[in-house]
Amino acid sequence: MNWFSFHFSDFAFSFLSILFEGVPFLLLGAVISGSVEVFLPPQTLTRLLPRNPTVAVLLSGLLGGIFPMCECGAVVVIRRFLAKGLPVSCAVTYMLAAPIVSPLVALSTFAAFRSQSPWLMTSLRLALGYLIAVSVGLVVQRLRLGAVLQATVIESLPEQRLVRAAPARALEAREARLPGSGGARSSSRAGLRIATAAVTGDFGTEWEASGVWASLLRVVQSATADFLDVALYFVIGAAVAATFNTAVNQEIIHPLAAHSAAAILTMMGLAGAMALCSSTDAFIAASFITFPFASKLAFLVFGPVFDVKLFFLYGLVFRRKFIVGLAIGLFITIALLCLRLSVYLQ
Amino acid sequence: MTQALNRWLPSFTLACWSGILLYFHLSGRLAAFLHPTFRPGVLAAGLVLLVFAIGSLFGGSARCCRNGGGCAHVNPATGRGSMLGKLLTFIVLMLPLFMAFGSPRNGFGLTAISNRGVVTDASGIIAPPPQSVSSPYVEAPLPTNDPAPAGADSNAGAVDQYVPRTPSGAIAVSVIDLLYAAQDPSLRADFDGKVVELVGQLMAENTAAPDGSRMKVVRMFMTCCAADAKPVAALIEFPPGTKKSDVPELSWVRVNGIPAFPTEGGRTIAVLKVNSIKVTDPPDETMLF
Repeated sequence: MNWFSFHFSDFAFSFLSILFEGVPFLLLGAVISGSVEVFLPPQTLTRLLPRNPTVAVLLSGLLGGIFPMCECGAVVVIRRFLAKGLPVSCAVTYMLAAPIVSPLVALSTFAAFRSQSPWLMTSLRLALGYLIAVSVGLVVQRLRLGAVLQATVIESLPEQRLVRAAPARALEAREARLPGSGGARSSSRAGLRIATAAVTGDFGTEWEASGVWASLLRVVQSATADFLDVALYFVIGAAVAATFNTAVNQEIIHPLAAHSAAAILTMMGLAGAMALCSSTDAFIAASFITFPFASKLAFLVFGPVFDVKLFFLYGLVFRRKFIVGLAIGLFITIALLCLRLSVYLQ
Repeated sequence: MTQALNRWLPSFTLACWSGILLYFHLSGRLAAFLHPTFRPGVLAAGLVLLVFAIGSLFGGSARCCRNGGGCAHVNPATGRGSMLGKLLTFIVLMLPLFMAFGSPRNGFGLTAISNRGVVTDASGIIAPPPQSVSSPYVEAPLPTNDPAPAGADSNAGAVDQYVPRTPSGAIAVSVIDLLYAAQDPSLRADFDGKVVELVGQLMAENTAAPDGSRMKVVRMFMTCCAADAKPVAALIEFPPGTKKSDVPELSWVRVNGIPAFPTEGGRTIAVLKVNSIKVTDPPDETMLF
């Protein structure tokens, strides 16, 4: 049996279908991100969250219930949330939970498994998804920013902008103390403007306008930049997934269904390679009739939090080392949990 | 030069993406790629990307990108990275354009179909089973004053009123109908012994054809997009002593025949006994969903 045979036309067909399915969701994420940038005042999110960091993480895991987002869009959105002051632990929790703990995913899972214990599968998927996301959030809470985020993302955080603005404020204060300085007052205003701009991100440009149209243009500009960023990694991820979908002989995995642990690992590997959208992946999982229930659960929990497409997308926000650690941690934790559950789900 | 590229590259990229989405939607090619539920999203995305392209051309890049500090963007619109890096990014983002027009095919080839594993059993399908027209859940037709022909089966009369038929009078069936019929006796009764017509792509059958008289008619069953489509197939059997079809594999064919439901290897299977087979155009919706 030939396990790998690549044909460009098959690859292109599969690649384009993934692209057509994913682009509207990426775009939605980019538009929301652009709107957050323009219309959401800085620190609003922080004020809305509880002061207790652990409770804030626990709550962030449920945000997908009122603010659902698929995994591709969530990456774009959390980068903007971070720039608006959302703590990293809460952002990571939301990013991992939103593609699973949402009404849309619950409905699609229930529909797909309507003849295979739908209540059990839906509730276990949501519960495990929440548990995993919150656990990762609590771990991230204890890590240094530099160990988690890309340097460019750290620079975009409000507190970092404040630090950069500090010398400007010191200079302005020194000038204000100089006796007989004619420009002291105007210099003071300029310094304040710099400091304020550094916090809000509102630096001003050569082009300035006001009103609704100007705000909309800023949404478009911001969403465009976000979309192009995420599209680059989406193209790479879709290409890898399309290669697997068309070139690899999937019959070779069928014998693995007979053994519980092998089935779980296989289904998780498949979820990682197929890079399906979390809103519809349940229909694919349900079609693996010969695979045991726990392995399908592993597929449905692991796929939305990590796959080849997300490996590249996460690179927009997180350090490569953190992503690799996240992948290994998620894989092992989900595999062990599902293996344990498989004892009860026989 | 650099400033011009910074302005034009993102705008051109977005315009190309918009063009691809709108072209595939408006030309109808999208039907082979995506479930109907997702198709309006492609049209909307194409239009929004067009707006983005225009906005990017005349409005410039995002203000965070223009000012450098506090910007996390890495795309060609930003000031970060070398010009070579930006051009490489641009080339990667142009890949969909090469794919869209470099391969005009609207379906998978033989290798990709075989790699996915052809399903010949209803248990491997997650489509809702078709409703039997002779099942008790289907309302009987309203009584008329016309006397029933002598000897006519009243239930068969009811069936005839509900089943879709081709212009030649044969019952139009899909691959999935036959696979479910093999497992559901009430559904089987709708087709058993009747002339039916099946449209699909022809494939060789190597495993279940001891005398070489069988082939498969395949359709792709799609959940969301073509990337997740699974091939589902019904067996067709040529009369003894006749030559199998010499139509090239994966040609679209219209098979006229009578279904039979023999038990082989401990399970009931559907086999369409071929009366005639003709090459035909692909249907409007090449995928089943």
